[in-house]
Amino acid sequence: MSEPTGVIHDIGYQRYTGPRLGRGHVFGALYLHGVRTAFGLGRSAKAKIFPWLVVGVLTVVAAGATAVRAQFGQVVMTYAQFADAMAWLVIFFVAVAAPELVSRDLRSGVLPLYFSRPLPRGDYALAKLAALVTALWLLLGGPQLLMFLGAAFSTGDGMRGVWNELLDLLPGLLYAGLWAVVFASIGLLVASLTGKRAFAAGGIVAVFLMTTPIVGTLSIMPSATVNQLAFLASPSTLVGAVGSWALGDLLVPEGQRGGTMPIGGFGPLYAVAAAVLVAGCVTLLLLRYRKVAAR
Amino acid sequence: MSTVSWITARGLFGRRRFLLLLPLPLLLVGLAVLCRALDVQPADWGPPVLVGLGLAVVLPVVALVIGTGVLGAEIDDGTVVHILTKPLPRWQIVLPKLAVATGVTAATVAVPLLVAGVLADSVRLGLGLAVAAALGALAYSALFLALCLLTRRPVLLGLAYVLIWEGLLGNFIDGTKVLSIQQWVIAIADRVAPTDLLTGSVSVPVAAVLTALVSVGFTVLAIDRLRSFSVAGETS
Repeated sequence: MSEPTGVIHDIGYQRYTGPRLGRGHVFGALYLHGVRTAFGLGRSAKAKIFPWLVVGVLTVVAAGATAVRAQFGQVVMTYAQFADAMAWLVIFFVAVAAPELVSRDLRSGVLPLYFSRPLPRGDYALAKLAALVTALWLLLGGPQLLMFLGAAFSTGDGMRGVWNELLDLLPGLLYAGLWAVVFASIGLLVASLTGKRAFAAGGIVAVFLMTTPIVGTLSIMPSATVNQLAFLASPSTLVGAVGSWALGDLLVPEGQRGGTMPIGGFGPLYAVAAAVLVAGCVTLLLLRYRKVAAR
Repeated sequence: MSTVSWITARGLFGRRRFLLLLPLPLLLVGLAVLCRALDVQPADWGPPVLVGLGLAVVLPVVALVIGTGVLGAEIDDGTVVHILTKPLPRWQIVLPKLAVATGVTAATVAVPLLVAGVLADSVRLGLGLAVAAALGALAYSALFLALCLLTRRPVLLGLAYVLIWEGLLGNFIDGTKVLSIQQWVIAIADRVAPTDLLTGSVSVPVAAVLTALVSVGFTVLAIDRLRSFSVAGETS
């Protein structure tokens, strides 16, 4: 027997022996990536157009309201009314952001790569949902903060005026959070059903828009109970009804135009309905991600 | 029926996808029947159902999904190359696709509007709404078909037009109503069947001329764009 001719060179492959970040870090990274994706950060200029268009319009409206208030001392809209008036833009933002978050992953088939990490399937869906909720809350809360700053610097009563203004802002931010949770859970559920961003965007808008006229129709029915329950039919009026029941006078001061919604004594029912809606959407989303991406 | 229109129709309807188009029209008819059955005054339920739901939501959303679906879906997955490499003049590709989009949209929207109009007032109102919706379907389809060729994100741009231009600005600024397909449709429907249920804010000749202009203009634009179309991947 001669000497062996073949030889295996050691070309320096090494195993990783350092600490491994666990489930929590994967969740955090996915969440942060989701928030950045919703605003198109870290992506091409084309992906930034639509999110920042919405942000820009909201900021301009808030700045306008602040300027009018500073110049003429007239409150154009409260923090809660700002959220209500911008409902269509929020819907548009959901239609832009939700397909970016989930539909792209479905279409390009990268979900098996995600799930080969120490990342349970539920965590993926929840991280995306948390990211969309955060993005929506920032979208509404940022301009509200702008309005607060304008009001705080132009107040005539010193620190007391700033404090009163802050007490107005906090319920407004809470209300914005309610908007964010309801809209994000519905939007993400619709978007997770299809891998085509175009269909997902159309579906989200269809779900939100087609429910609004139902409220209009139900509120002219010849029954007072049906009228008071009509706001259940659409997510945006549902949010408004829960807000006006739970936060009531904190959102819209007495004597302001509009006032609270005529929901009669059904306030608790609205709160339960909103909770059930969100819980149902999240459950369906988790069920969806239990099955998806088997291909 | 040309091969292109046949392929387009099959792409729209294949694999039970047509079922996705049903909920919106069914909702429209369902609400109209419900209001009629409960003896609500037509003056009360007519505007929210016919205009608020029918002309402002169902027509644009269905037209958007179908109008971008006939061409945008093929551009997205790259199969449009198979049609573009055939020795066909470009207008023989755009026109059949526009015809299919308009036909399907008009059928999906005009029939429930006809039923709702008959329930609300009279056969004349139903026919007026149906005719106006069909004309609106043509204008919307031409617009959204051209958008597919002008930008990589046609659905979002179309949604921005429907939601922000027609929905949000139309409520606050009267000037934008002159350039809104939704207002033209309302004006035409009101001209065909004058009732108290519809109030157009645009004069009828202006609406008719602009509808024709948009339909023809965007079709010509789409044909022109398709002449020098370059196929690229999905935007990042």
